[in-house]
Amino acid sequence: MTAPYGVAELQAIDERCQAIAAELGFELPEIVYHLMRSTEIYDIAARGLPGRYSSSRFGASYRQQLDDYRMGRSRIYELIVNTAPVHAYLLDGNSLVAQTLVIAHCLGHAWFFTENGWFEPTDSSILSRVAGAAERIDGYMGEHGRDRVEDVIDACESIAIHQPQAQLIRTAEPERETYVPGPYDRLFPDEVAAERERLEREAAERRERFPRQPEGDLLDFIARHARTLEDWERDVISIVRFEQAYFLPQLRTKIANEGLAVLCHQEIVQRLFLPSDQYWEYEQLNAAVVRPGGLQVNPYHLGIAILREIMRIAEEPDEEEAERWPWAGSAEPLAKVREICTTYDDEALLREFLTPSVCEKARLFAYEHVQSDPRRIRISTRECDEVRDVLVKAHSRFGIPSVRVVDADYGGRGELYLEHGEEETGLDAEYARGTLTQIARLWRRPAVVRTVRKDRPVWYVGRPDGSSEQLTSAP
Amino acid sequence: MTVVEDGPLPRKAGDRDALHHSDRVRRKIVQRLKERIGEEDIIAAGPEKRISVPIEGERQWRFIFDRGEAKGVGQGDGEVGDVLGPPGGRPGEGEAGTEPGEERYEVWLDMEDIEQLLFADLELPRLKPKPGGEITESELVYDDIARAGPMVDKKHTLRANLMRNARRGRAFVGDVDKDDVRYLSYREHKKPLHRAVVFCVMDISASMGTDRKRMARLFFYWCVQFLRRRHDQVAIVFVGHTTEAWEMTEQEFFARVESGGTKVSAAYELVSEIQRERYPQQDWNAYVLHTSDGDNFTADNQRTLALVNRLVPCCALVGYLEVDPSASRGAAHKLSTFFARTADDIDGFVTATASHDRELWPALKKFFAREDVAEAVA
Repeated sequence: MTAPYGVAELQAIDERCQAIAAELGFELPEIVYHLMRSTEIYDIAARGLPGRYSSSRFGASYRQQLDDYRMGRSRIYELIVNTAPVHAYLLDGNSLVAQTLVIAHCLGHAWFFTENGWFEPTDSSILSRVAGAAERIDGYMGEHGRDRVEDVIDACESIAIHQPQAQLIRTAEPERETYVPGPYDRLFPDEVAAERERLEREAAERRERFPRQPEGDLLDFIARHARTLEDWERDVISIVRFEQAYFLPQLRTKIANEGLAVLCHQEIVQRLFLPSDQYWEYEQLNAAVVRPGGLQVNPYHLGIAILREIMRIAEEPDEEEAERWPWAGSAEPLAKVREICTTYDDEALLREFLTPSVCEKARLFAYEHVQSDPRRIRISTRECDEVRDVLVKAHSRFGIPSVRVVDADYGGRGELYLEHGEEETGLDAEYARGTLTQIARLWRRPAVVRTVRKDRPVWYVGRPDGSSEQLTSAP
Repeated sequence: MTVVEDGPLPRKAGDRDALHHSDRVRRKIVQRLKERIGEEDIIAAGPEKRISVPIEGERQWRFIFDRGEAKGVGQGDGEVGDVLGPPGGRPGEGEAGTEPGEERYEVWLDMEDIEQLLFADLELPRLKPKPGGEITESELVYDDIARAGPMVDKKHTLRANLMRNARRGRAFVGDVDKDDVRYLSYREHKKPLHRAVVFCVMDISASMGTDRKRMARLFFYWCVQFLRRRHDQVAIVFVGHTTEAWEMTEQEFFARVESGGTKVSAAYELVSEIQRERYPQQDWNAYVLHTSDGDNFTADNQRTLALVNRLVPCCALVGYLEVDPSASRGAAHKLSTFFARTADDIDGFVTATASHDRELWPALKKFFAREDVAEAVA
């Protein structure tokens, strides 16, 4: 499709938007826009990054999304990549009004990428690394067969998200190895003796165990300690792990990032004074972007709702709010939003600013799964505090369970023993077993995870041959 | 700050990856079909019926919270206590920790599809051209070039053009003239006939209990399906035996039950006779497939072996399948045990055992292995 406008028009729109953004106080990095055909846009969308390695999983999602687009069921207007300069890919079938919205929206993302602290570790030359990795993987596919390489990629992708982020490194408090006497010990001689014995036993176990401290960086641990990995497999592991790291800050700040981008396009387009027919088209597009989600929350909708709430509190807080936030009522709204967006991730944003009024306006509810049919849900509450708790939990650590390696030579059989944090909801049985077979494929030996379901410890085992089972006692 | 209208993406593998994905799904269907070959509904499905094969796509495994226990947040109308439809929008887009992306296909296949998928790996091995008197087959093959026709042959057109230019002293491709255009054309090729006869020999004695009989029939059902579909020049002879042997119609063969003991040699003798009289070796590729529970009269074993030795030189393949759900495989009195000891090194004699429906397909594959596949394995 040839667009009824040229590069010059887009350039002009970009210049006007940038000027308004600057007036509003947004300092922007350099952005390069690419006009792309739909097949190219969807290729990038399927991979997450342009030029990423081949995988039939990407192929399936490419075909699916492209079909949806051609049938008019969905449309991707734009994709943006956090690099220096920032690259934004615009669909060449967008109308000029849509391109206006998209360009203004991209300015918001670009600002967020450069200013939000969580994006600091991102490698700004990721695209050349991605291209190099894709070429190497093509080579491995030629050498070892496409299926074999894809199986390794699949296994890596299943656990790639279990890696630390730079800001998240918390050194675990070393557990006490010996018993520290207390003032009431004499009252409970048996308990004290039992505790003393437990600590000694555990300390002894730890001394014999490898790793000494539980390890949460699963792929890295496997790449370094699996015994029979071939060089190309280690390379694939490090590629998948590295590329996943690019997506982590984006997952972490989805709501804040989209909220800010929506805020940007709304504020900028308001000031463009579009002719009424164009403005009408813009409002329709804008409404489609920020419409409330269904059973899932639309991050665009919730993001803008929260940021608008912050702006309101900055200008006209009620008494309670004035008491809670010292800046309330006296801050410049956009400046306050910018300040918050430089340091907050979604978890922090929701924890602090998911107020009852946002909760009500966004019509949020918390749900539980229906026991008899887990695919169906029951609305459990609309109480803001409870909704917030659930939402915050889902956004801490990207909503993934904490799983760590505690023993790399379990039972002296070279098996990999993982532990799932007891304080969390238990692991899903089917998925735990599937994931463990993937881990076992890389580790070449069985992998075990211990979790607690319904107050009972459960062990899942996955083996390199693809078999798996559930045990009620440690294997 | 710049808008670029650049060329295509440096690397765009979406279509290639999508093709590869379809290929993986197709292989999965074949895999599932092979696992299900013994199941009642596939066997029972007549040529009219269609069966559904559920295929689970390749799931992206990952650690997630118990789907039953996990709580989530949604948006929209509804009172507290209302039950709403399945959570999760598009696969793969699940809110963290709720519903993971799943890929499921329900593939509907009719018998024709099934047979095509399954029989792709099978063929009549060691098939040799047999003149069969005057009869030959002819087919038209597009392998000629002509000055007229429906399909332009670009390569030969360019070559003709180059040669014409060269004759005038300037060797280059261009100024294509009407005279240069060449077209693909066909020629008639005479093909030698690969006539084949297959002897289906089944033990129908009393010792063949319900299960054994069912397995034997199942096996022959698929044999016959395969032969009819893949080879239009094949004759099938049905032979049933107890201590005697009879040639039967197809209907009788699949339905008849006899009582009495087992003498395999009687059947082999009859086969040998029919072949001599009606399917002479110079005109026909002969295949013998025999299914029994292996409870042969021990005294008959030596004679059977002698007949196998006589059959093998004039047949492309002699196959023996022992069906035995009780899995007394390896028992001393079984014919398979005897063959394993005495007939292991006879070229052209293949034995297999099956104690479960699952093992029928591997047996069929063993008899009708494609030579290129077999060589690759070897």
